[in-house]
Amino acid sequence: MSSIIELKNIWKKYQIDDDVIFTALKDVSLTIEKGEFCGLVGPSGSGKSTLMHIIGLLDKPTEGEVIIEGKNIASVNDDRLSTLRNEFVGFVFQQFNLINKLTVLENILLPTVYARKKIDYDPQKRALEIMERFGIASKANSYANRISGGQQQRVAIARSLIMSPDLILADEPTGNLDTKSGDEIMKLLKQLNKEDHITVLIVTHEPDIAAQTRRQIQIVDGSITS
Amino acid sequence: MDFLTFVFKSSLFDFSRNKGRTFLTSLGILIGVMAVVLLTAFGLGLKAYIEQQFEDLGSNIIRIVPGQLLKDGNFSNTASAFTSIQFDEKDVQQLNRIRELKDVVPVYSRTLTVVAGNNKESSTLYSSTAGIFTVLNVKADYGRLYTDQDVDKRSKVIVIGPVLAENLFLSSRKAIGKTVKIEGQSYTIIGVTNKKGGGFGGPDFDSFTYMPYKTAYTFNTDKTFMAIILQAKQDKDIKSVIRQAESTLLKRYEEDEFSVIQQEELLLAIGSIFSIINTVLIAIAAISLVVGGIGIMNIMYVTVTERIKEIGIRRALGARKSDILWQFLVESVILSLLGGSAGLGLSYLIVLFIQAYFPAYIDLNSVVLALGVSSAIGIIFGVFPAKKAADLSPIEAIRYE
Repeated sequence: MSSIIELKNIWKKYQIDDDVIFTALKDVSLTIEKGEFCGLVGPSGSGKSTLMHIIGLLDKPTEGEVIIEGKNIASVNDDRLSTLRNEFVGFVFQQFNLINKLTVLENILLPTVYARKKIDYDPQKRALEIMERFGIASKANSYANRISGGQQQRVAIARSLIMSPDLILADEPTGNLDTKSGDEIMKLLKQLNKEDHITVLIVTHEPDIAAQTRRQIQIVDGSITS
Repeated sequence: MDFLTFVFKSSLFDFSRNKGRTFLTSLGILIGVMAVVLLTAFGLGLKAYIEQQFEDLGSNIIRIVPGQLLKDGNFSNTASAFTSIQFDEKDVQQLNRIRELKDVVPVYSRTLTVVAGNNKESSTLYSSTAGIFTVLNVKADYGRLYTDQDVDKRSKVIVIGPVLAENLFLSSRKAIGKTVKIEGQSYTIIGVTNKKGGGFGGPDFDSFTYMPYKTAYTFNTDKTFMAIILQAKQDKDIKSVIRQAESTLLKRYEEDEFSVIQQEELLLAIGSIFSIINTVLIAIAAISLVVGGIGIMNIMYVTVTERIKEIGIRRALGARKSDILWQFLVESVILSLLGGSAGLGLSYLIVLFIQAYFPAYIDLNSVVLALGVSSAIGIIFGVFPAKKAADLSPIEAIRYE
């Protein structure tokens, strides 16, 4: 198995005041293999979200190397990082982060608007297929904030899938959902990992969500403990 | 769906959600564009009007007026501009000796009231020789013009403009042969002149009353003239006529007590003054466009702040800095163009209304310029807020609540 993400000695420090520095990540090294279904588990404030943002290329480490599919991205410019976020990663957030003034279909298609590679499929058709699969096809033309939380999270997952990513990063995907909706979202993520062979990393502080993953990475106070 | 469709949809949504704000913001540009376009339309109308006046002028006309009106082609601003001398028949006789002249036309002019039964109308009187009609390029539509015989016989006849005729007798035709009272004396209308239009700043020939100058001596008891109009035989004689007229008059008057002006020169001077005023006004109006642009910049900064989260989401989904920059730039241009087009449309309606009175018009240049300038304002004042949006850190933007 080859690695999809490799982190080497990652440090993330924030300058809070003139002489106060907060260290969110301390010398974190981590390898995630292709096709893995793992959980990044830790209490709030442990640094797991910061780590996810670095893996998702939304943030840069203060020190250390981020290697994606064997390539160090330290010297990659902002446009290239944007393209990697567009093609390589799909984000699923706790707050769903849909754009409310766009319809469900438009939200799902939004990443294709920013695509720089040539898309060899009909995005509209593909979006409809995904919606069909997720049971949200009837909501295609509803505005994003007019549907239930469970449905919004499905839209978010559909959006993360539209560009056929290699990796899905889910930050507390069930955090804003009731147990039933949460279970369904977890089922979907497992399905994507098993049937679509997409690597999935779930960030969570809930032990029963973490228990559903095949590998758990524990993080406490900015360091990986297991 | 392509990028632009998404941008348009997104901005239209924001505009419709903030209708009041969108309206007020584009109002600044609307007013600016309207002011500039309208003033330009007036300037163009003025130019057209002056050109029209040139066409209406009799040819080879020289005007002698009291005071020093023009100096080196510009309006004089010395006190002597207001010196009031008046010419008399002796001047006319002496000027008649200039060989290159076709005609010497003295003019006594004043405002008076023309009474026809119960109707009273105010009118400008031109009392002169029959030559005045050639000089003013006026013809009779009904009846006839008075002749030099009428002048010598002191005939109690008048010729009036068509508007005055309609006001007094409902139609030009009915006015012929009617008697009116002026200053207590009765006069017969023998002719109604053709319609010439005008009246904006220039003389309103259509409401004039023309009378043989000797007839007018009943109330022009001093037998004086406000102006003497000379008509040269040929265009090439004009300079020589002006010189001779000046030397003739210098025998009786001081140099700064009268002016000998070529009529075109006067019109040109008036035209150039109005065009300077027009340009200055347009420049002032253009300042309001800048103010409008600042309004747009202000609102775009607010918009960016309100949509930090959205920017973060877009960045997470793969939008480049330039994508975000373009999104807000397009939005700012739409906002500005919205105001610009509305201003243009409104100006068009106003000009349509004004055209009944004044030949103002909007030319293609104004349209292109108005839309071009509003787009440019959208870009210039939108670029800083858009840059701010593009430079937001994706992670801070997406965390923003």
